[in-house]
Amino acid sequence: MSKGDLISKGNGFDLLDQFEHILDSDPLIDEVGFIHPSQFVILNKEAESSKQQSKDEIWSSDNSLDHEDSNFWNRDHKLGISAHVLLPLYKAAKDAFMDSIRQYKIVENLPGASEDEMDSPRSSAMESEVMKHSKALLLLSCDFGTAWNSRKLILSKKRHMSLFSDELLFSGLVLSYSPKSEQAWCHRRWVIKMIAGQYSAVQEIVGKESDLVEKIAERSKMNYRAWNHRCWLVFYMTREQVLLELNKSRKWAGLHVADNSCFHYRAQLMLTILDLSWHKQEDETSDHDVEVYQIWKEELLWNEDLIKRYVGREALWLYRRFLSLYWTRHFATNVGDATHQSRHTSCVADDVNIFLDNELRLVNSCSTIPDNKFEDFHAQSIHAATYILWLTKQLPKSQEIELKKKLNAGSLLTMMNEACPERSPLWSNCLHGSI
Amino acid sequence: MYCDCKLIILMLQMGELAVDKHVKYILSVQKKRKDSFEAVVMEHLTMNGAYWGLTTLDLLGKLDVVDSEEITEWIIQCQHESGGFAGNIGHDPHILYTLSAVQVLALLDKLNVLDVDKVSNYIVGLQNEDGSFSGDMWGEVDTRFSYIALCCLSLLHRLDKINMEKAVNYILSCKNVDGGFGCIPGGESHAGQIFCCVGALAITGSLHLVDKDLLGWWLCERQVKSGGLNGRPEKLPDVCYSWWVLSSLIMIDRVHWINKEKLVKFILNCQDKDNGGISDRPDDAVDVFHTYFGVAGLSLLEYPGVKAIDPAYALPVDVVNRIFLGR
Repeated sequence: MSKGDLISKGNGFDLLDQFEHILDSDPLIDEVGFIHPSQFVILNKEAESSKQQSKDEIWSSDNSLDHEDSNFWNRDHKLGISAHVLLPLYKAAKDAFMDSIRQYKIVENLPGASEDEMDSPRSSAMESEVMKHSKALLLLSCDFGTAWNSRKLILSKKRHMSLFSDELLFSGLVLSYSPKSEQAWCHRRWVIKMIAGQYSAVQEIVGKESDLVEKIAERSKMNYRAWNHRCWLVFYMTREQVLLELNKSRKWAGLHVADNSCFHYRAQLMLTILDLSWHKQEDETSDHDVEVYQIWKEELLWNEDLIKRYVGREALWLYRRFLSLYWTRHFATNVGDATHQSRHTSCVADDVNIFLDNELRLVNSCSTIPDNKFEDFHAQSIHAATYILWLTKQLPKSQEIELKKKLNAGSLLTMMNEACPERSPLWSNCLHGSI
Repeated sequence: MYCDCKLIILMLQMGELAVDKHVKYILSVQKKRKDSFEAVVMEHLTMNGAYWGLTTLDLLGKLDVVDSEEITEWIIQCQHESGGFAGNIGHDPHILYTLSAVQVLALLDKLNVLDVDKVSNYIVGLQNEDGSFSGDMWGEVDTRFSYIALCCLSLLHRLDKINMEKAVNYILSCKNVDGGFGCIPGGESHAGQIFCCVGALAITGSLHLVDKDLLGWWLCERQVKSGGLNGRPEKLPDVCYSWWVLSSLIMIDRVHWINKEKLVKFILNCQDKDNGGISDRPDDAVDVFHTYFGVAGLSLLEYPGVKAIDPAYALPVDVVNRIFLGR
């Protein structure tokens, strides 16, 4: 009979006790994992070999070193849970949580339950039960929304900064092994909104939060939930923080050139500084305009450099679409044609034709496929051609006609129809459309 | 017409959709819900699972194999006093599960069991000052919730109860330079979010506010060499985007910008032909979520033998007609 079969509902509660005891006695746990029972032997061997140097305690089911019986492994603030006990442990945690929140809500909703009563020892004992069981449950099932909600309910009554900080630590722990947990990210936003409403520490938190996303993004590539969280943070940033973020995320982006989410994040930061320079105060000089112009110019150069260095990366070309489109709209003027100078056109401006000539040179240089015909070069030439066609379609009419002439759009489309026949309806739309 | 006939012949040559196997698979998932950790940790979203499974059965013409009374009774037990529905009995309500509950009742032709005003008041109460919608009382905002609110209220004939202009303007504020949409203003474009935003705009009759060529361009670039669609640039293809990208392309009338034959082939290659079910990519493990999106994708591609699905309401066309045209 396997070990799993021997675990009855009764010792599900023992397991939960044991689990919650570990969580309570080691509040600094920073890593949780579900491990196969055979891994216990390996982990314990490693632990024993370094036992002399460390006084940390090793937890096992009967608090001894009987490795065969281990359900939990806890050392150096790392917690391993045996995959064999997950089902009974989950069931016990869920039952305990559901009971505790039900009882808590009954007391909370009693007619005439005053603030005082909610502060009574009985009530706070119930609160800690809910917090304890929801924690255990969420470590096993990170998207159990009702458990996250129960914590919000209790925190919203207490409103203590230290509790909010604990909550950021706890959701951070969940994200360390479930980086895509939508509920954990959502919980953090709720906590930050609560802090922002009451305390002034929000700028500092935003900076730390951004670092957390970067740390998680390193292990969990193109994690939409994580990057969405980072984009959400931009609303809370000062201009200085936005500029700092642009600097900080640059190196990371250069090392992760296929990560479209990171380039989208940069696009958001770029748009935010542009937006702030439009809405600047009367008394501010045009220094900001010059600064934004400079930042944009550098970003275009940096992107061009990456495109040439990392051949065939879709994300880099998509980012260039964004950068170029805004450049033509806000920093470039069409000499001799004042009609489409937008209200927001910066006081610093370059000739749009010079800019577009440079783009054409870049596209041409990326369209030569070497004889060895590496797939990356093929992809590069398609991305380059698609980029210039896309940009052409977004330009005002007069610039579009001008660029079309220089581009020899007809032969470019023939090339695209051959290279990428699946998209021929799109290419012919370009031809018969406005190009 | 010539084109459609050619497509159907091609589809049949590509190999069959294993209809009976998929039906069997969905019914088996419904039964063995409690005996593994992997299954129980999904129990909070059983309502979504019910929608995915039952819509698949209906698209395959096999909805009569389930006990609609039993399902209806279970759904009623998931309703909270606020009017919203939870993902399972005893859980908290959320707009995500409320739409699934309404959709399943619509499938089963049981909308009459609902106190329509109670459900719609729950949704109306979630609209914020800026026109956005929160997912529940805790205030998380996402364009998915805008779609859900508008879709749900439309199915319940209660769209007049919210500020529609503000709702539409909020969605438009989430539009990006690439023509796509994100969760919040400034959020990265994602095919799933685009479906929600385009669907919401379709339901409110606001599709004229979308730059169809620009969005269509982004969407058709989601098709990769294997014929499958990804949800964002540089990502692997996944069957679920056969629904999200395809339905959006249909709503904005640009579906001819992708290669349909190759997509049909990709979806059929993701079937588990022995045990039923469809996975995200060929040879991966199947699940109900991807089985639904695969079948729904094939429905949009007019695969023979699969009922037509409405690209905005994500319900079979005959169900939508029953609600809006009284059959």
